[in-house]
Amino acid sequence: MKNLSADIVVIGGGSTGVGVLRDCAMRGYSAILVERADLAQGTSARFHGLLHSGGRYVVSDHESARECAEENAIVSRIQPQAVELTGGLFVVTPQDDPAFGDKFLAGAQSAGVWVEEITPGTALRQEPRLNPGITRAFRVKDGTVDGWQLAWSAIASAKEHGAQVLTYHRVTQIHSADGAVNGVSATDLRTGEDVRIACSFVLNCAGPWAGDIARAAGCSPVEVVPGRGVMVAMAHRLVNTVVNRCIVPADGDILVPVHTVCVIGTTDHKVSDPDHLEIPRNEVQQMLDAGEVLIPGFRQARALHAWAGARPLIKDDRVSASDTRHMSRGMAIIDHSGRDSLRGLLTIGGGKLTTYRLMAQHMVDFMEEQTGNVHPCTTADEMCPGGEKGHNYLITHRLKDREADRLESPIICECELMNRKMFTDLLKAQPNSSMDDWRRQLRIGMGPCQGGFCSARVAGIAHEESAVDADRATGLLKLFLEHRWIGLWPLLHGDQVRQAALDQWMLHGTLDLDHVPSSKGVEPEVTKPKEPLVVPASDEGKKSTTEVKEGNND
Amino acid sequence: MTDTIVIGGGLAGLAAAIRLAQAGQSVTLLQYGVGGLQLGQGTVDVLGYAPELVSDPFAGLDAYVGGHKGHPYSLFSPDEIKASVDWFAGLLPDLLVPGDGQNHRVPTALGAMRPTYIVQSSMHVPADVTSVAIVGLRQLKDFYPKMCAENLAKTSGWATSPYWLDFPARAGGVDSTATSYATDLDDPDTLARFAAALKKAIGNEDAVGLPAILGLRNPQVWSVLAEAVGKPVFEIHLGPPGIPGMRLTHELTQEALRLGVRVILGSKVIGFESEGGRISGVLHQQAGRDKVYKADNFVYAGGGFESGSLAMDSYGVVTETLFGLPLAMGQGDSGPLPSHEDLITGDYWADQGLFLAGLAVDSAMKPLDGKTAVYDNLHVAGGILAGAIRWSEKSGDGIAIASAVRAADAILDAQSAKQPRNEGKE
Ligand SMILES: Cc1cc2nc3c(=O)[nH]c(=O)nc-3n(C[C@H](O)[C@H](O)[C@H](O)COP(=O)(O)OP(=O)(O)OC[C@H]3O[C@@H](n4cnc5c(N)ncnc54)[C@H](O)[C@@H]3O)c2cc1C
Repeated sequence: MKNLSADIVVIGGGSTGVGVLRDCAMRGYSAILVERADLAQGTSARFHGLLHSGGRYVVSDHESARECAEENAIVSRIQPQAVELTGGLFVVTPQDDPAFGDKFLAGAQSAGVWVEEITPGTALRQEPRLNPGITRAFRVKDGTVDGWQLAWSAIASAKEHGAQVLTYHRVTQIHSADGAVNGVSATDLRTGEDVRIACSFVLNCAGPWAGDIARAAGCSPVEVVPGRGVMVAMAHRLVNTVVNRCIVPADGDILVPVHTVCVIGTTDHKVSDPDHLEIPRNEVQQMLDAGEVLIPGFRQARALHAWAGARPLIKDDRVSASDTRHMSRGMAIIDHSGRDSLRGLLTIGGGKLTTYRLMAQHMVDFMEEQTGNVHPCTTADEMCPGGEKGHNYLITHRLKDREADRLESPIICECELMNRKMFTDLLKAQPNSSMDDWRRQLRIGMGPCQGGFCSARVAGIAHEESAVDADRATGLLKLFLEHRWIGLWPLLHGDQVRQAALDQWMLHGTLDLDHVPSSKGVEPEVTKPKEPLVVPASDEGKKSTTEVKEGNND
Repeated sequence: MTDTIVIGGGLAGLAAAIRLAQAGQSVTLLQYGVGGLQLGQGTVDVLGYAPELVSDPFAGLDAYVGGHKGHPYSLFSPDEIKASVDWFAGLLPDLLVPGDGQNHRVPTALGAMRPTYIVQSSMHVPADVTSVAIVGLRQLKDFYPKMCAENLAKTSGWATSPYWLDFPARAGGVDSTATSYATDLDDPDTLARFAAALKKAIGNEDAVGLPAILGLRNPQVWSVLAEAVGKPVFEIHLGPPGIPGMRLTHELTQEALRLGVRVILGSKVIGFESEGGRISGVLHQQAGRDKVYKADNFVYAGGGFESGSLAMDSYGVVTETLFGLPLAMGQGDSGPLPSHEDLITGDYWADQGLFLAGLAVDSAMKPLDGKTAVYDNLHVAGGILAGAIRWSEKSGDGIAIASAVRAADAILDAQSAKQPRNEGKE
């Protein structure tokens, strides 16, 4: 067993956790983040990619709208490399009520969100594929954000301030004595080794899994209601601006251009297990229909990949639990000292990736309220590493880079313009990672061929360059293809069927991958715990004292 | 007037065109795109896995077909398949080495030993080889000798040693494709330089395995190289573009041209005309104006899903995209297809039912609607046939050749029944 210690342990390496870690570290605390898988692979990897301008909330929730507008500007500034300033449009389609546009304008004005009405003709000139029947259009400052870039650069910043990160470590128990948290136990999923971290505060940022963590601390149940949303990436940027339908927020009403694709989303269904999120075909169909409303001919365009994420909403009595979209979009912080008589533990739920920095600030402020220490939050002032040049992401960045270094390093993934050096640099930094971990950082296999051409190259290089033996390299390759298929089969149609057949020919037909020996279990099982989390003798009586602090009401 | 128009210049289309031209027919081949041969490995598979490794592909066929209802091979006897494949091998005796009743095993870039019935002479490994140098080229990103060698040590029984060779296809290049290497090696001077570098790089192994880049137009590159290094040299399968596949396409196209086949490349057949249950012409997309090509017979060898002849739309509706022919899951099946939800499943390693879908045909390879031929003069061959997951079984080439030969012979039989000819088919 390994022993560590820190002032604070942050659980969960999604956007919320990395934001909280960075904030703690910048206020001078020693902090360790514990994540059971890789950084940003939960909800923060399976979201829509919209850096909200606030436009979506101007009618329903002014406070949320204002926060989004402010955080949008901050995140674009401190992490420019993670954000593309695409701009956004709200359009009234022939199916929508033009009068809603007036509510939208009025709401924007009182929320302080920048909105400008333009003529449908101007909107169509900007986005020629838009439904020519739109009756009104509004410009907003929506952007698009890469959750992985955001998380990794926030982590780099936190590390500069002394924070530590343990990925592929699952928290198994939160220890306490005399009604106060004093440590966290975790298992290193790669080696099986147990780690105990002595600490005086735990910040539970486990998103949809936050309830499990509260249980591991012996608290009475925190009900998290995962709201599953399905998204579909199209193989091209059918639009270069975020396009929203100007209606009361609904399913499939936003089309987000991110990197080389554009993503239509999303749905919202209450589910019970965030570890096993289905991608139901009817929801994929629903998204294609929704796309058709915004972009006629959408169904003829090439659909690439689908995924599902779970909104980490903490149950709130004000709305019924089956309609998760209308639960508070704002965050909720649960204070376990009042609720469970356990000091030193806060649980956060809800929120948006856009407002991750602000959520972290609220959480760390709340912690300091309890501990009596006061430090200013400086996370909005300091740039995260990698963004020094101040340039926001542009889709042409990689093209420009490859133009410059094409005589130095071969291109390994043609779809995403990733060269060998980018990969070997990452390999040096993270030799034990899986191919999906590498994918999230470099976009390997995320383009039209879905890994058909590049994945075998990546396996070969990983073996050539590092300590990965041939069995493991082949095992990683097989697992990667298996994982790509999860997001392919529920939507497979059109040109992507053709691609799937070609990929089968290449990998199975020509290279005979099925008959190459490989090891199993090349990636730790993160979703199925070996042993159940510690279940406490529950104390039902405490339930009524739940104190939910609403971020929105601050 | 053309006797027969063949649509599709992959293995099935070229084989049918050659067979018909050999018998004296006037043949026009309409080809769009590169054809599956150039994406594959340039060998002729008959049956490689059933699903266990198959050594004699013909001996096991009856049993295999018995267990796979609707398999395209159920349309042929093993003897007929063997005769067709042997006829095909005889077209290019310098290039193709049949397996003498047994499958060859050819290494792949990932280090599997892939079973196949006919190899190209450049892939042949003498039986007494026990140690092999596996040589990669630094500038070729599709081949990693260490990975290949380590896996081959387990799958082949050879002692393998990996080596790197620094040999850019173009001076200063870091990203050379298999195609540029292959074209370069066609040049005798480059080949000599390559041979010298190779000889210096390797140890005293019995033989040398190289990625499949050994010449595009000159099929003797491998033997020149073997002579120069003083030991057998063989090619290892790479992903596309497949040089041996291009080589085979080229040689077959040359043979077709030599036999007088009119080959029209690069544009698509986009429609057809029919009259009284017969196809009278096909509409060919051309610059300026689309053109109708007329013929007595038509062989449609447009390939499967990978070639675009079969497609599934966003509602899950599967169609044959040119003639709108009825689809089935196998031979003897008369459709309709199961719903798309049953055709594609979440198990990546399972064969997907979708890829069984295709055309069911009669004994003359005429596509069927129920029990009757849809058009009296339309025959099909190759990957468009229903009933096999060809990449798993390693059966695509055998199916293509057997069906092409049958389609061609059916056309010739019908022709000689009508107007007996002297110059019969062989
Ligand atoms: C469908 C959908 C679309 C969305 N679109 C947008 C959008 O366009 N814009 C936007 O701003 N927001 C969007 N959101 C919201 C946003 O994605 C989330 O609010 C945000 O990603 C939540 O981050 P998180 O860190 O709280 O949770 P997560 O990212 O889920 O992080 C929680 C982490 O905890 C880890 N964990 C769980 N159990 C343990 C354990 N025992 N030990 C250690 N670690 C553990 C998990 O592995 C996980 O990585 C969307 C959400 C959904 C579901």
